[in-house]
Amino acid sequence: MKLPALLQTRVSRGIAVLVVLAFLGVLLIAYRFAVGLGAVTNLSDGYPWGFWIGIDILVGIALAAGGFVMAGLVHIFGGHRFHPLTRPAILTAFLGYLLFVFALMVDLGRPWNIWWALISWNHYSPMFEVAWCVMFYTFVLFLEFVPAVFERLGLARVHRVWREVAPLLVVAALTLFTFAMTDSLRWTLIVCGILAGWEVLMRLGVAPRDHQMPVLLIIAGIMLSTLHQSSLGTLFLITDKLNVLWYTPILPLLFFLSAVMVGPAMVIVEALLTARVRRRPPEFDLLAPLGRAMPYLLAAYLVVRLGDMLVRGVVLETMTVSLASAWWWLELGLVLSAIALFSAPELRGRHGGLFLAALATVTAVVVQRTGVAVVGIAVPEYARYVPKWSEVMITVGIVSLGLLGFRAAIAFLPIYHEDEPHAPAEASARPASQPIPIAAAGAAR
Amino acid sequence: MRPLSRRGFIERGGRACAGLAAAGAGATGLTVLVKDAAAQSASPEQPDRLTQQAAKQWAMLYDSTLCVGCRACEVACNKKNELGRTTTEIFEGREAQDARALAPNVFTYITFHQWEADPSTAAFGKVQCMHCIEPACVSSCPVSALHKTPEGAVVWDGSRCLGCRYCMMACPFLVPRFEWESRNPRIRKCDMCWNLQKEGKEPACVEACPTRALRTGSREELLQEAYNRIAARPRKYVHHVYGEHEAGGTDFLHIAGRPFEELGYRRNLPLRSYREYTKPAMATIPYVLGGLGLALGAVRWVISRREEVAHAEHAGREEHAS
Repeated sequence: MKLPALLQTRVSRGIAVLVVLAFLGVLLIAYRFAVGLGAVTNLSDGYPWGFWIGIDILVGIALAAGGFVMAGLVHIFGGHRFHPLTRPAILTAFLGYLLFVFALMVDLGRPWNIWWALISWNHYSPMFEVAWCVMFYTFVLFLEFVPAVFERLGLARVHRVWREVAPLLVVAALTLFTFAMTDSLRWTLIVCGILAGWEVLMRLGVAPRDHQMPVLLIIAGIMLSTLHQSSLGTLFLITDKLNVLWYTPILPLLFFLSAVMVGPAMVIVEALLTARVRRRPPEFDLLAPLGRAMPYLLAAYLVVRLGDMLVRGVVLETMTVSLASAWWWLELGLVLSAIALFSAPELRGRHGGLFLAALATVTAVVVQRTGVAVVGIAVPEYARYVPKWSEVMITVGIVSLGLLGFRAAIAFLPIYHEDEPHAPAEASARPASQPIPIAAAGAAR
Repeated sequence: MRPLSRRGFIERGGRACAGLAAAGAGATGLTVLVKDAAAQSASPEQPDRLTQQAAKQWAMLYDSTLCVGCRACEVACNKKNELGRTTTEIFEGREAQDARALAPNVFTYITFHQWEADPSTAAFGKVQCMHCIEPACVSSCPVSALHKTPEGAVVWDGSRCLGCRYCMMACPFLVPRFEWESRNPRIRKCDMCWNLQKEGKEPACVEACPTRALRTGSREELLQEAYNRIAARPRKYVHHVYGEHEAGGTDFLHIAGRPFEELGYRRNLPLRSYREYTKPAMATIPYVLGGLGLALGAVRWVISRREEVAHAEHAGREEHAS
C-alpha cells in the first residue's frame, strides 16, 4: 500500500498516459473558458447540445448507476454476500458524479450562476429536477463513501457520530428536496413522515437496523437516483427535435430501466478490470451470480422498449436507411447479444464470457443514450452536428482525471474487502477471493 | 454468515431485482401513460384556457398582405437593441437570403418568397420570438432566467442564466440564440421591446413599419382584428391566424394571403403548449418519492425479518443435531 511500490508496477505506464491525457484536457478546458464554447465545439444554434451532454452527462450518469443498484441489493434486498462489491460501486458512483459536475461546468455557458438553481425554483423544468438530483445525490454518495475515509484514518468516534447523524441529514435533505420538487406542503410532510417514521421505528428497535450503513441513506440514494436517471429522459420530452425511434412519453422509464440494467454490468466490468490492474483474482463467486440476474433486467428493458414502439406504431421507422435506424439496430443487437451471453452458463462462467456480456450491456446503454442526445436529434434547418476533436479530447481528459482519482482512491482507502483493517493487507491470494472453478459454478445450479 | 443457501439467494436476488424493475416500470409507466392520456384528452379545451389567460396581454399582429418587404423593422430592431453590424444581404441574393437565420445580433428578419408560376408577385413572412402564452423556453429554464412578464413579453434575465441552452432545445420556433464566441455568453432574442412598451411606446419594429403591416394591441383585440380582416376580404386571406393555437397559442399573431408553410412558417405544430409534454412525467415525482420511501423500507423490514427467522431456525437445528 506504499506509493513507491505502486509506482514501480507496470501500471505506471498506463498512469503516465492518463496524466498526459488529463493534462491535455485541462489545457483545452482553460482554452474553452478563455474564448467561449464556439472555438472548441461544433455546437450551433440548431444543435445546442452535443457530445458532452451525450457522453459526459447521459452516459456518465447511467454508468454510475452501479452505486444505487448495488447499495439497494445489499442493504435493502438482503444480498449481504455482495457486500464486497458495494464499496467499489459507491466509489465509482461518487467519483462519477464529481466528474459529471465538473464536466457540466465546462458545458454550461455561465457556470458561475449555478447557485441560482438553489434559490430560483421552476417546478415545471425537468432541468431544475436534474440540478437538484445531482446536488442531493452527490451529497448522499459522499455520506455513503466517507466511512472508507474514517476507517483509513482510524476515526472510530467520528464514524459513530456519522452513523447517528447521517439519517437525520438524509431526512432533512429529502424533505427540502420534496418541497422544491412539488411545492406542496402535503407531499413534503408525507415524504418526511415516511422517512422519519422508519428511522424512529429502527431507533426504537421495532424495525431491524443495519449496523454498517444507515438504511435511510440507502433509501434516499435509491429515491434520488431513480428520479435523476429518469429525469434525464424527461429532459427530452419537451423537444420536438428527437427522432421517433427514441421519443416516447415513457422515455424517463426507459432511462431508469436501462440504468438498473447497466448498474450490475458496470460492476462486473470494473471488478474484472481492477482485479487485473491490482493483480488480484476477481470476486468471481459474486460476479457470476450477479450475471445470472442480468437477463431479467435486460429483458425488462427490452420488453418496454419494443412494446412502446409497437404501441406508438413506429416499428417501420427502423426499416429506413439512415444513421438513426442503424444506431437503433446497433442498440437492439447489443441488448440481444448481452441477453444471450448472460443466459449461457458456459459463457457466463468464464471471465472472458462474463466480461463480454457485461461490456455488451454497457455499450448498449452508451448507444441508447448517445442516440437520444446526438444521433436522434435532427434540425433540418441546420447543418448536421458532428463532434469536434477538441470536444472529444476534453471528455477523454475528464475521464482520465476520473480514472486517476479512482486509482488513487483504491490505493489509499480500504475499498476492497482484503483492504479492510481486520484483514492482512499484504495477503495476496486469500482463499475466499479465489475464483471458483467453472464446474463448481455449474454444479451450484 | 450464510443464512441462506446459495441457490436460494441467487433466486431471490434475481427475483427481487426483476420484481423491483417490473414494479417500478409498471408504476411509473402507468402513471405517465394515464397522465399523458388525460392531458391529451383535455387538449381541446387547452387552447381556451390559454386564450383566456392571454386575452389582455400585449400582442403583435403581422399582416403579410400589407408587408412590402422594406425591412425597416429589421433596421429599427437592430438600432434599438444596439446589435451592431450584421452580415445579411439584400433580396437580390435569393440564395443567401434563404439561408438567413436569427442570430445573437439578429432578433427579427423578413423572409421573401416568390413562386415560379407567378413571378410577378412576392410575399413576405416575419421571423422573431413568438412570445408564446405558455412558452417552452420558460417552462424548460431551470432557474426562470427566461420568464413571461405579466404583460406578455418573454424576457431573459442574465443575472441568473446558467447557459445550459435547454431553452434552445425546447423552443419549437428555434428562436433563442447563444453567443458561441463569447466568454460570458448571453441568450439573445426579441423581448417585444418591453421596456419601451412599459413607457407606453410602440416596439421599435412596429414604430418603423410604414405600411402598418405590424400592429400592437391586446391579444383579444388583435385576434378580433385578424378575423375581421379575413372576413372582410375572404378571398385575399388564408383562413388561418398563425399563432392563435400553435404551441398552445402565442402573443405574436400572423395572417397571410398564402399558406403559411409556403411563407417559411413551421407547420404541424402541436396545438397544446409544450409544457404539457413534460408535465405528466414531472407529476410522477411525489408518487415516486413517497412510494419508494414506503416500499423500500417495507421490503427491507420483511427481508431482514425472514433472515432472522431463518437464522434462528438454522441455529436451532444445529443445537438439535448436537
